[in-house]
Amino acid sequence: MTTNSSNEYKVGKPERLFSLTCALLYTSRGLTKAEILRSVRGYDTEYVEGGDNASLERKFERDKESLRHNGIQLETRIPAHEDENNQATVYLIKRESFYWPKDVKFTPRQLALLNLAAEAWAGGSLSTAASRGITKLRAMGSVGEDSDIVGIAPRIQAHEPSFRDLNNAVSDYQVVQFDYRNPQSGEIMTRTLQPWLLRQVAGQWLVMGFDELREDTRNFMLRRIVSKITPVKVGKESKTFAAPSPDLIAAAVADLDLLAERQTALVKVKPETEAWFRFQLDLTGGKKAGEVELHYHDIYVLAEQLREYANEIEVLGPESLANLIRTGFEKVANQHA
Amino acid sequence: MPDEQKLDDSDRFNLMLALTGLLVQGEEYEIKDLVKHFGVSKSEIIKAVKMISFTDLMNFNDFGHYLVDYDDLEDGYVSIRYDFSNAVDEVPRLSSRQASALAAGLVYLSSLPGLVDNSEIEELQNILASGDSRGAAPEMIIKPGSRDADLAKIREAISKNVAITCDYLNQRGITTLGRLIEPLRIDPHGETIYLRGWCPESLEVKSFRVDRMRNTHSTEIPISKEAREAELSDDIYSPAESDTIVTIEVDPEAYSLIFDFKPVEEPESLSSFRKRFKIKVGDVRNMGRIIARFGGAARVIAPESARQAVREFALSAIGQGSLKSPKNVE
Repeated sequence: MTTNSSNEYKVGKPERLFSLTCALLYTSRGLTKAEILRSVRGYDTEYVEGGDNASLERKFERDKESLRHNGIQLETRIPAHEDENNQATVYLIKRESFYWPKDVKFTPRQLALLNLAAEAWAGGSLSTAASRGITKLRAMGSVGEDSDIVGIAPRIQAHEPSFRDLNNAVSDYQVVQFDYRNPQSGEIMTRTLQPWLLRQVAGQWLVMGFDELREDTRNFMLRRIVSKITPVKVGKESKTFAAPSPDLIAAAVADLDLLAERQTALVKVKPETEAWFRFQLDLTGGKKAGEVELHYHDIYVLAEQLREYANEIEVLGPESLANLIRTGFEKVANQHA
Repeated sequence: MPDEQKLDDSDRFNLMLALTGLLVQGEEYEIKDLVKHFGVSKSEIIKAVKMISFTDLMNFNDFGHYLVDYDDLEDGYVSIRYDFSNAVDEVPRLSSRQASALAAGLVYLSSLPGLVDNSEIEELQNILASGDSRGAAPEMIIKPGSRDADLAKIREAISKNVAITCDYLNQRGITTLGRLIEPLRIDPHGETIYLRGWCPESLEVKSFRVDRMRNTHSTEIPISKEAREAELSDDIYSPAESDTIVTIEVDPEAYSLIFDFKPVEEPESLSSFRKRFKIKVGDVRNMGRIIARFGGAARVIAPESARQAVREFALSAIGQGSLKSPKNVE
């Protein structure tokens, strides 16, 4: 058995974070910043006793953030006898917040499903988070058991540039701002949102949340966001919001579903055409042969989907849908004249 | 088996935590099994194990090491012992982002017909929520658009390694009855679910849209050797030498085109949100349908033949075109 301690070895970031984690788990009373910088591997060699350690302190701040991103909760305490002395703040990691609450194990089938869930993000917006998550979960499954589900390669499509920032904002309860194009007028307005949930409806990503300007629940389609997602700040701090109650979210989801239930279009489809094959699937009880009733959340998205089958269908109603399809084609014809 | 991934610092730290949690349970593993299990390279596993062993708590404690036998490591085996209390001795929880990404992936799987029971997904969601360091995974809801009962039959045929027959409506609007396909993999892409299958007639892998299949049945014909050995690329469409290069400009409403068509080079940003890119197209007549649906958010810049195809598709759709029918448009 050998242990290794090499003096010239340069301690990299992964190793420093790991040592910091071990030290903060090990300590029961907590460690002050000075104690951490003086004694944790990766800081200790750069620490100057009584000197300027500003850059090392910045490194520690960044490392705290990295731990947080990995799901590790740092606790801070000021010992009772130290009153308001910030220098005396101690850091520690509580075991109960670090580990899984009980002895969780995954069956090979469960791990296979989780693997597939992670792979569904391959190359996509959340692939990094998914692959780090699955790495941890794999450590809880049995090594050597076959855990593949063959015959399917699912891919979640989330190409919108705003997707990842919005997803992070949902996770962090961060209020955000973005420019949004109104599909009707084409007008661009800056919106301020407390994002609650990302949702894909009929192939389109929506962010649902509380619109601070309108003071109400609103849905925004990611493809209509025409700017970067900017975190809203209060002074130097990020502006956050209180976690919405699950009931509030459920109500907003139900609201949108109700809208789709209420909004219907009637379309006549030429038999045995591609449109016939396509819309037969969404058939929800046509009135006559060859007529299908389509439910929709967003008339602009439906118009877009129907334009693809323009010569195979006839829109019987609503008129606004038929007009949208037509004006879209007129615009395209002009652009390509 | 997961593909081996390239790791950055945060990935490596994450791997160290996971490996420690597994290895300190006391079992010895073959490195090649860990490579397969975690989907990372052998050198990443060895590097992570070494970094774990370098960690010490000597400044806090007289001991404080994870002990690794380097000779075993050389021989391709690894185990870890430790000699201090309160070490990393289990697998740590997930971060909210990790949990939410996996939870969203599970919701997506549950929306694919016939793959998994909702009760199974619910159980896993609950476990994930209990392992999310914040307590509950943020929600994300994903539903692919098209569903089809035929999908279950196809999956069954894939698992039994047998061919299927179905009525298939091809891109030219012609239905072939009883078409034989040797099914290889189901590739859900956004709204559309494809079956990647070997066509015994043309002797090549083709992509079939599941929503254009009817009367799907399993046969007892086993999958051929050629089909089993066929290579499946990730791209549904593979460009050919004879393809035309078409330049397209898009607003965010039509960004999906960039991802559906794999541009030949990096898209160029024309403004803060407008992009221009080039794609390879087999038949420019297809561009009509592809571009016109966006109602203005996507435009063909060149060549003129592709612009004309878009113009004619749009004009014909509003009853002013010279085309009789778009059916010959693929």
